[in-house]
Amino acid sequence: MYGGAQTQREVPIIWDTRDPYLKPKPIHRKTNITVKFTDLYGFTVEGNVDDVNVLNEVRERVRQQGKAWWELEASKGANWYLQPKISSISEVAVSNLKISVLANTLALNRLIRKGIPPVLRPKVWLSVSGAAKKRSTVPESYYDDLIKAVEGKVTPATRQIDHDLPRTFPGHPWLDTPEGHASLRRVLVAYSFRDSDVGYCQGLNYVAALLLLVMKTEEDAFWMLAVLLENVLVNDCYTDNLSGCHVEQRVFKDLLAKKCPRIASHLESMDFDVSLVATEWFLCLFSKSLPSETTMRVWDVLFNEGAKVLFRVALAIFKMKEEQLLVTHQIGDVISILQSATHHLFDPDELLTVAFDKIGSMTTNAITKQRKKQEPAVMAELDQRLRRLNSLKEEK
Amino acid sequence: MATTGINYIPAKLVLLGEMGTGKSSLVLRFVKGQFFDYQESTIGAAFFTQTLAVNETTAKFEIWDTAGQERYHSLAPMYYRGAAAAIVVYDISNTDSFTRAKKWVEELRQHGNPNMVIALAGNKADLVDNKQVEAEVAQTYAQDNGLLFLETSAKTAQGVNELFLEIARRLPKANPTQPSRMIVVDRSSERLVSTSYYCC
Repeated sequence: MYGGAQTQREVPIIWDTRDPYLKPKPIHRKTNITVKFTDLYGFTVEGNVDDVNVLNEVRERVRQQGKAWWELEASKGANWYLQPKISSISEVAVSNLKISVLANTLALNRLIRKGIPPVLRPKVWLSVSGAAKKRSTVPESYYDDLIKAVEGKVTPATRQIDHDLPRTFPGHPWLDTPEGHASLRRVLVAYSFRDSDVGYCQGLNYVAALLLLVMKTEEDAFWMLAVLLENVLVNDCYTDNLSGCHVEQRVFKDLLAKKCPRIASHLESMDFDVSLVATEWFLCLFSKSLPSETTMRVWDVLFNEGAKVLFRVALAIFKMKEEQLLVTHQIGDVISILQSATHHLFDPDELLTVAFDKIGSMTTNAITKQRKKQEPAVMAELDQRLRRLNSLKEEK
Repeated sequence: MATTGINYIPAKLVLLGEMGTGKSSLVLRFVKGQFFDYQESTIGAAFFTQTLAVNETTAKFEIWDTAGQERYHSLAPMYYRGAAAAIVVYDISNTDSFTRAKKWVEELRQHGNPNMVIALAGNKADLVDNKQVEAEVAQTYAQDNGLLFLETSAKTAQGVNELFLEIARRLPKANPTQPSRMIVVDRSSERLVSTSYYCC
């Protein structure tokens, strides 16, 4: 099944993002029945006619946004966005960077929040995330060498990866083909050898699959995965006991209580732990919950601004459904509301406007402090669980 | 469907077991009557509801279908906390998954709700040619530990409704006087009332 791998990975994934506007059949305009359609990244989506209209509007906006990028390229020069940028305004005081660099950074941040045109995503993501820099520190043949070195090796991670390949977005027209499986396998297996602490964690299959669809080449997808796990996200999100993920969930609960106190106290009165829904959001970076272009827009900002973006997006989802959530009495209803909200968020701007304009300030420093505060509690809880499980073994 | 006079028993139910034993498939078979050869891998957990009428009462299952990979087990307490029932799933063609199932049973006995109804499901019963775990072995283990035991196949639907039905019969609290083996049920007295599902 994976034979011929060496030649396959050189071939960029052909993915046509310029498909025509969606045109629901006339009969669907009269009724509110569900229609199935294929989105920008080849996923089959179910929605009503309103959803199709929203998606067409979004496509038009993507086109307009593309124009904005080309115009800037014309005035600022090709690849202006690949220049070094200032990571925070406070750096300005201590740096001798030119005003033009600052202006470019601010313009780029604004532009990225409005969305990177799909064709530019590979280049811009590699640059703003630091993946290109990461790759430049190792020999050019790094990925090829790694693939060759690990070929044919069997580890618990490779067995789990093999198990998950056909279970990663089954039915997708490219991912669910022998070539798609082989590409995804190489990226995941290569990474499992690069970082044996992570090895393979379920959830990464969805992340890597979407990275492949966007980046078009395996090597670029691999470096994006590497920078994501090693630099963008907090440490240990995917390692043996998911401790980083536990930390993020606790920070998120505190943020919800602060930013959406009415929802937080209502859910608490129902004994509803928000981690029940948010864990998957954070581990799959929304790829299993949001429509693909909306997920990509979240990732645009994630790669440019860092992991705190995930908090903003998760808070925004709750905030958008505040009134509905406040009248729920059952856990099933809460989940149903959030589920349906995320599945129908075809308009990325609707989500990102709430995430960035309606949540209030959230500084990196404050988040870092929160994480530091939660870490000992998480470690204590995980240790305690381990001890309990070990004592079970001894009793036997 | 008329619901007057029906005594609804809400019941949180959690599925636990090693990766790829078919937890999601069992739920999907029970809730939607469907089966897919390749079921998307579950991250965190997926939530489903299903009501099941048994004689005069109706159990309203709130089902948490959890992720199977070992590192996800640190999340499990969040899902089994307060659960009235648990289905611990192993794959009859995989001995390791049976070993893991026994560990889950121990954990639930120690840290779960003391009245929890625990069922052991030997799934993929259709894979008779690759069978590694004999039903007798699992049955003996189940009897020794007071578990309900059934071999199931989400693929062929064998044992799936019976499994949930038998759990429903034992709600709201486990009755130790009942035999732990499967009872042949009178299908006329049961029906699936309503279905909804969400995966999250």
